[in-house]
Amino acid sequence: MLWKYALRRIIVALPVLLGVTVITYGLIYLTAGDLVPGLQLNPNLRPEDIARIKANLGLDQPFLVQYLNWLGVPWLLHQVGLWPGAVRTGLLQGDFGRSLLDGSPVMSHILERLPYTLELTSLAILVGVIVAIPMGVVGALRRGSPADHFLTSLSVVGVSIPNFWLALLLVLIFSVGAFQLGLPHLPSGGAASSVNGGDVLDRLAHLVLPTTVLAFGYLAVWSRYTRSSMLESLSQDYVRTARAKGMSERRVVYVHTLRNAVIPLVTLIGLELPTLVAGGAVVEIVFSWPGLGRLALERAVGHDYTTVMGLTLFTAVLVIAGNLLADVLYAVLDPRIRYT
Amino acid sequence: MSEHLLQVENLRTEFPTRDGVVGAVDGVSFYLDPGETLGIVGESGSGKSITVLSIMGLVQRPGRIAGGRVLYKGNDLVQFSQEQLQEVRGKDLAMIFQDPMTSLNPVYRSGWQVGEPLRLHRGLDRPRSLREAVSMFRKVGMPEPEQRVQSYPHELSGGMRQRAMIAMGLTTGPSVLIADEPTTALDVTIQAQILELLKKVNAEYNTATILITHNLGVVAGMCERVMVMYAGRVVEEGPTEDVFANPSHPYTWSLLRSLPRLDRDAKEPLRALPGLPPDLTDLPSGCHFHPRCPFRIDRCVDEYPPLAAVLPAQRAACWVTQAGVDLNRAGAIVG
Repeated sequence: MLWKYALRRIIVALPVLLGVTVITYGLIYLTAGDLVPGLQLNPNLRPEDIARIKANLGLDQPFLVQYLNWLGVPWLLHQVGLWPGAVRTGLLQGDFGRSLLDGSPVMSHILERLPYTLELTSLAILVGVIVAIPMGVVGALRRGSPADHFLTSLSVVGVSIPNFWLALLLVLIFSVGAFQLGLPHLPSGGAASSVNGGDVLDRLAHLVLPTTVLAFGYLAVWSRYTRSSMLESLSQDYVRTARAKGMSERRVVYVHTLRNAVIPLVTLIGLELPTLVAGGAVVEIVFSWPGLGRLALERAVGHDYTTVMGLTLFTAVLVIAGNLLADVLYAVLDPRIRYT
Repeated sequence: MSEHLLQVENLRTEFPTRDGVVGAVDGVSFYLDPGETLGIVGESGSGKSITVLSIMGLVQRPGRIAGGRVLYKGNDLVQFSQEQLQEVRGKDLAMIFQDPMTSLNPVYRSGWQVGEPLRLHRGLDRPRSLREAVSMFRKVGMPEPEQRVQSYPHELSGGMRQRAMIAMGLTTGPSVLIADEPTTALDVTIQAQILELLKKVNAEYNTATILITHNLGVVAGMCERVMVMYAGRVVEEGPTEDVFANPSHPYTWSLLRSLPRLDRDAKEPLRALPGLPPDLTDLPSGCHFHPRCPFRIDRCVDEYPPLAAVLPAQRAACWVTQAGVDLNRAGAIVG
């Protein structure tokens, strides 16, 4: 049942992905024009050189042909003898093309940076969940108490503070300030120390601040969500039934209420999965974290359009995968959901 | 005083509201003997449900029990700590609720839920509690019990869910079963089946039953004794037959008169009880029922009548009947 459902969802996602490729390529085509900026400014290049480079890259072709080239459709047609001439592989063959800046495969850039982003954001999500759920539970169980008000204020602060500002503040306190006071301090950026660093402890130390900043944003939202979801669950008849059975309030809350309350939260977190790539960009930049978000910014600034397109598409795939994962988890947690 | 299984004395349960403290249950006293079935009737908001929730110690904050005693086998449950109450709940006192659709936890299998009281109170492990659940399902007439314990609540019909609730209440062999409008959410044919089941259970296990309902027909068919509540107080109490034959409180009398009856002239119109249930934050002076009462005398406006014997087995809180007036006869004149 489950795999069938997953398969169907993937098939349904294919047209969406196709749409993403059209929009991505279309937007880049419109904004970037000939895709090779600055060639005209190079005094060493004659017009015929520029023309040759463009022809090499296939940029002398009409938009539709360029787009189909990127997809790798001609390559497929070539295999069955329907497309004359030499052609390159494309997206359909898993080839994201090559970077316009350094000529190396876009995929290799993505794969190089992906582990760092996954490390940071999955840790942040984990911390967010681990902290947000108890926060929400406490808020719901002691509604209106000073503890609840404190947690509510904390959430408001978390939502309101821009994460780059919080990042800078934390760097100021825990890196700069602590260093100046001669106290143990945390690294202000990077994923590992270049000098005699790179062991587990060093890498963890580098993770602390960016994880804190990212997790703070998440838990502000999720704890509120958990709280209202818990309050709703607590008022349900089955909670009264559970109490009537004579179990401890702990068991009422954790076995009978929380299980129902986290179901909507799963969707919320599933929707957050794409930020595994994109959402952390600002934090990655402030902390010089060598992840995908920073890669995207660097390459956008550097007019490396092929890499930007590759990243966009990669993010789209993650969005779809995140939704799928959330749906599957949802169905696992809630027996009322059918795989249809 | 002879020892009753359950004896409620002068119970008062309050809820703070914006308009002041409301006594949802206001000095209720009654008793329950082993194996008997007591019906509690009254309009919505008359305090029926809060009364039994108070007995179970399940009144949720900000509501609280402000006074009175709930003696179960001689122990006052009001004085019990939450831990002590947890020992009694689900083991000696079981409760089933109105809407079986929402009263079962949607994310756990029915067998798991039905077996839970056994795991809590008897220390059974899961496989054994599941086997017990299967045998309980069989006893409550659940079709295909082996398969149904594996079903989630949404996979069961309304009647099956209520059977599961009843099975859940009975696994530990409680001496008191409280059923809070157990058939209200079910359709009529299923209602009859569930009531039959409750009757059977009551006879087989000798479980004393408190049946809350606003259906007087159910009371007539199920209960040996009946207690009528109005605005948080007991207004009449006695053996069901006597109360139905000779209602001694105008409220009971009006309720009975508003029922269609097979033995009455079909052309005779049904008499609705005029007015609305009182606002608990702003109760009428004297007898709370006096603004709606066709028999009202001056004293009713000033003084709340005590619950006192009107007929040998029947008590009512009414100045008029306590003075010897027969409502059935007087009613013919009042119209």
